Amino acid sequence: MTATPASDLAPADSSTEQNPPIRIIGLVCERSVELENRLNNDDRLLDDPSVKIITVPCSGIIQPIMMETSLKKGAKGCFATGCRMGDCHYREGNKFLQERLLGKRMPKLKPSVNKHRIEAYWLSAVEYDEFRDLIESFQATVDRVDADDAAAS
Amino acid sequence: MTTYVEAIQKHVVLPLEKATNRIFTQTYNPFYYHGALPNLFLWVLFVSGLLLLVYYQATLATAYDSMKFITYEAPFGNAMRSLHRYAADGMMLFVLIHLFRVWFTDRFREYRILPWITGVILLTVMFVVGLTGYMLIWDADAVALTNITVNLLHAVPVIGNGLAGFFLGADLSGSALITDYTITRILVLHLGIPMFMMFMLWMHYLRITRPVTNAPTGLVFLMLSGLALFSAAFPVVLGEAAPPNFNVALDPITFDVLYAWPHQLGVAGWDPALIWLLTLAVPVGLLIVPYLQKKAMRGQFAQVSKDNCTGCSLCYADCPYEAITMVERNDGSRFKKLSIVDPARCANCGLCVGACAFKAIDIPRCDSKDVLAEIELALANQ
Ligand code: HEM
Ligand code: SF4
Ligand code: SF4
Repeated sequence: MTATPASDLAPADSSTEQNPPIRIIGLVCERSVELENRLNNDDRLLDDPSVKIITVPCSGIIQPIMMETSLKKGAKGCFATGCRMGDCHYREGNKFLQERLLGKRMPKLKPSVNKHRIEAYWLSAVEYDEFRDLIESFQATVDRVDADDAAAS
Repeated sequence: MTTYVEAIQKHVVLPLEKATNRIFTQTYNPFYYHGALPNLFLWVLFVSGLLLLVYYQATLATAYDSMKFITYEAPFGNAMRSLHRYAADGMMLFVLIHLFRVWFTDRFREYRILPWITGVILLTVMFVVGLTGYMLIWDADAVALTNITVNLLHAVPVIGNGLAGFFLGADLSGSALITDYTITRILVLHLGIPMFMMFMLWMHYLRITRPVTNAPTGLVFLMLSGLALFSAAFPVVLGEAAPPNFNVALDPITFDVLYAWPHQLGVAGWDPALIWLLTLAVPVGLLIVPYLQKKAMRGQFAQVSKDNCTGCSLCYADCPYEAITMVERNDGSRFKKLSIVDPARCANCGLCVGACAFKAIDIPRCDSKDVLAEIELALANQ
């Protein structure tokens, strides 16, 4: 991880100005990985401020269009997190999102979307370390895809 | 403010499940099949119980001998008896895990109150099934259990003698003592209550869409082979024959703690009134517990936009709590159906929002249009 925690970069009130551009948007279920005290004022990850977090009540509320929009509007990657498979508080939310992203349930993720820029993680509230590692490898994946895309064009 | 439920979930349940995920992976974690595993054991009980019934004889003179035949002579008799015994313990164990898990992960109140209440009823009657099962053996322990039960029933105020009379079959035998009718009554309870349980389970699932009643094959295999190995390693033996006079005082004995703890207290000389109080405190306490917490949702529920809804039924298919019905519409719309949400059943979860491609349904605490706007705003600023 190369990023410096944003809290070290700036006083809390002006942190927005100091934030790097958003590379990744994360749509995070409020019951999965716990991000309390892990975010700055602008809902960026303290461990990696290029990641912007939007919290939702359940991964099942996430529409594929939200992830498509993130990419269309300039994010390099977009991920969703839900609880462990089998432990969705509302029973089936994570399973349904997974099926939507895999194109097995309506409404589906558009087939034209570059799947390497979309990820989904199933983690419980006490699995922040696992989460941070996954974000790190997602950043690496996105770097690779960026390089491939640049080479192709 | 953190509630006790949240604290237990964060410090006990989730770390425990994180550890079990390492062993089983999340696909086979038994804690994720807390409702399916009691069902599995229930099926084992039905099948093994049916085979036991082939040889069992419900009379005072022959019950013990028929158990002896089953245990030591009938083909697979001991295997069936052992499976039946350990499956009963397994079922109680997993029902308790199920109960504590739904409780301590906050899945036990508001729109889940029907499964909770029917669950408490299931737990209570299961207890009677297990207890009568131990009586049917009709060895010395069984006779002791029966006698303590009769004493406990007599101790109930006002209707006590009636209850004891019903249990003994006094209406048929005309006697306040244990007779052949008693053992028939015990058998009727042991077989009849499971039928009632099937009805209760139907109610248990009434407001749950696609209840997970089956564990994955690998886990089923693991549980069944565990059960079989345990039965082979510790085959059930038959207790001593009861003394000829069934109504004598008995030496201190140890019963199955899962099913006969009140009777154990009876053996220890506790006052029947106290035993009843303690026994009844369990279901009554469980029925009260959901109401001790502040409502999380404060009457919020999913809202449908009449203008946008196309009647495609995707939300109806995905709602995990049977909260949506599709109704015919004749308000001049070009669409034939409209989605309607039942506020009392709605979990305010938003799964319907994820299912809707027409921005026609939303939950108040997280509007999908706001999420989209937030994404666009965040990315527009750079
Ligand atoms: C005969 C014993 C029982 C069986 C076979 C059983 C089975 C099940 C099953 C299969 C589910 C659906 C799980 C899912 O798909 O999410 C369920 C849900 C539930 N059960 Fe049980 N159950 C039993 C006893 C109990 C008891 C004793 C309680 C508590 C007192 C209980 C409380 C609940 C609750 C609250 C739910 C809803 C959970 C949710 O919506 O996430 N059950 N049960
Ligand atoms: S998914 Fe949306 S459009 Fe389809 S029936 Fe439900 S609310 Fe209406
Ligand atoms: S929010 Fe939607 S999916 Fe969830 S229970 Fe209510 S109607 Fe069903």
